[in-house]
Amino acid sequence: MTRPGTLLLALVLSLPATTLAAQDHASAPVTTSATDSGAAQGEHAPAADSAVAKVDIITPHITDGYAMELPYWKPPFAKHVCIGRHIGEHECGPLWDPVRIGPVTLQLSPTKHVVMLILAASLAAIVLIGTARAHTRHTHAAGRPQGFAAGLEAMVLYIRNVVIMPNVGPHGEGYAPYLLTVFFFLLFANLLGLIPYGATATGNISVTATMAILSLMVTEISGMRALGKGYWNTVFYWNRDMVLPMRIVMFLVMSPVEIISKFTKPFALAIRLFANMTAGHIVVLAFIGLIFAFKLPVGIAPLLMAIAIMLLEIFVSFLQAFIFTLLTSVFIGQMRVAHH
Amino acid sequence: MSFLFLSLTAVAAEETRADLLSPSGGLMFWTIVIFVLLLIVLSRFAFKPMLAAVEARERSLQEAIDAARRDREEAERVLAEHRAQLETARAEAQKMIADGRATAEKLRSDLLEQTKTQQQEMLERARRDIETEKTNAIAALRREAVDLAIAGAGKVIERNLDSDANRKLVESFLGSVTLGGKA
Repeated sequence: MTRPGTLLLALVLSLPATTLAAQDHASAPVTTSATDSGAAQGEHAPAADSAVAKVDIITPHITDGYAMELPYWKPPFAKHVCIGRHIGEHECGPLWDPVRIGPVTLQLSPTKHVVMLILAASLAAIVLIGTARAHTRHTHAAGRPQGFAAGLEAMVLYIRNVVIMPNVGPHGEGYAPYLLTVFFFLLFANLLGLIPYGATATGNISVTATMAILSLMVTEISGMRALGKGYWNTVFYWNRDMVLPMRIVMFLVMSPVEIISKFTKPFALAIRLFANMTAGHIVVLAFIGLIFAFKLPVGIAPLLMAIAIMLLEIFVSFLQAFIFTLLTSVFIGQMRVAHH
Repeated sequence: MSFLFLSLTAVAAEETRADLLSPSGGLMFWTIVIFVLLLIVLSRFAFKPMLAAVEARERSLQEAIDAARRDREEAERVLAEHRAQLETARAEAQKMIADGRATAEKLRSDLLEQTKTQQQEMLERARRDIETEKTNAIAALRREAVDLAIAGAGKVIERNLDSDANRKLVESFLGSVTLGGKA
């Protein structure tokens, strides 16, 4: 590409970035995270007094909240929508009061990430069901899928034949719907975070932890189903080849290790996905901030870097969804053949 | 100029306050609800028909492959059979030709032999016949000669002339016989 062409591309691409920064700039005073609304309120007041307004554009983007941004045609090209109750002029609080179930108090009000999750699930459902319909139609008409259905089928089959079947082992078909849903749900949630005005629900530890807990539950239940009574051998280390005193010693030493190992795997799953998504977004936001810090012409360098990191993030979105699915398959497979 | 950059660094120091690692129960609850709903919907309406179609296709492909393999094995078997049959037929034909040739040869030699034998026999018979005829002729000639001699002697005795005259007569008679054959 020629030099003028590159500059033009840079300008065109910088437009959404401008919007994003503008919206961040405007949104900062009103945005508070769900957890530290009180603290944030206290912080913003002195910031407004100082000569240079300190604006945090990163924290609101990677944390959850009750406010969302929608595209708007007038500057700053973003409209703030409160999905909770308005508190005062600019604040936005939870829609419902917390629900108390026994000892735990649950704040069930929908947040930005809940909306993004619903959006991701709906998109996944629309795309996959639509494709499945087209797939069935093509299969009846031509004996094989065509176009987008064929592409998606290739993806589904890749996950099924390369990720699930070899790792889960024989009769792994039963786990295919769960694992495929995990893949597409996480993929759509990851990708929605890359779209302007979007938020990364998978960059929230609650979401990734829940997905990891579900993965742990599926793994343990698969172990109970496959091993029967032998499942207890994966919890308590009781080696019959050893003499009794040694066996008891090993039982006391190894059983905690076994139990801890059950929980470290989903913990790693949760942290891996959360950290990858969050870190990627912080890097992108930092580069976008640098564009406006440097201005032209030096700002072109962070602009190009932001584009490059954004492209990398698209890859990471696929990769992390894939890795989560792959590792869950591996854990299920390990559990099903576990013999101690 | 770079107030945003500065503010970013300033905020980075306060970033520790951003509570990234404490999970929120409500969001976890919603995640479970959304995921389980999605799982039910997708496995019922997306993956089930898609994987069913794929499995049906895989099955039909496998069947086609198996059928093709079976057909090929069958064809190979039939081909081998035909080849063997052809070989047998060829050997048979070769054998028949050879047999025919041998038979013809034998027939020819037999016929030749037979002809030769017959010829020989005929020759032999002819020779024997000739011999017999000859012997008969000689015997007949002898008898004739004897008869003639007796007749001559009878004439001699009949005339009873001098012996010289007799002798001359007999001799002249014999001479006439020799010269004139049967007279």
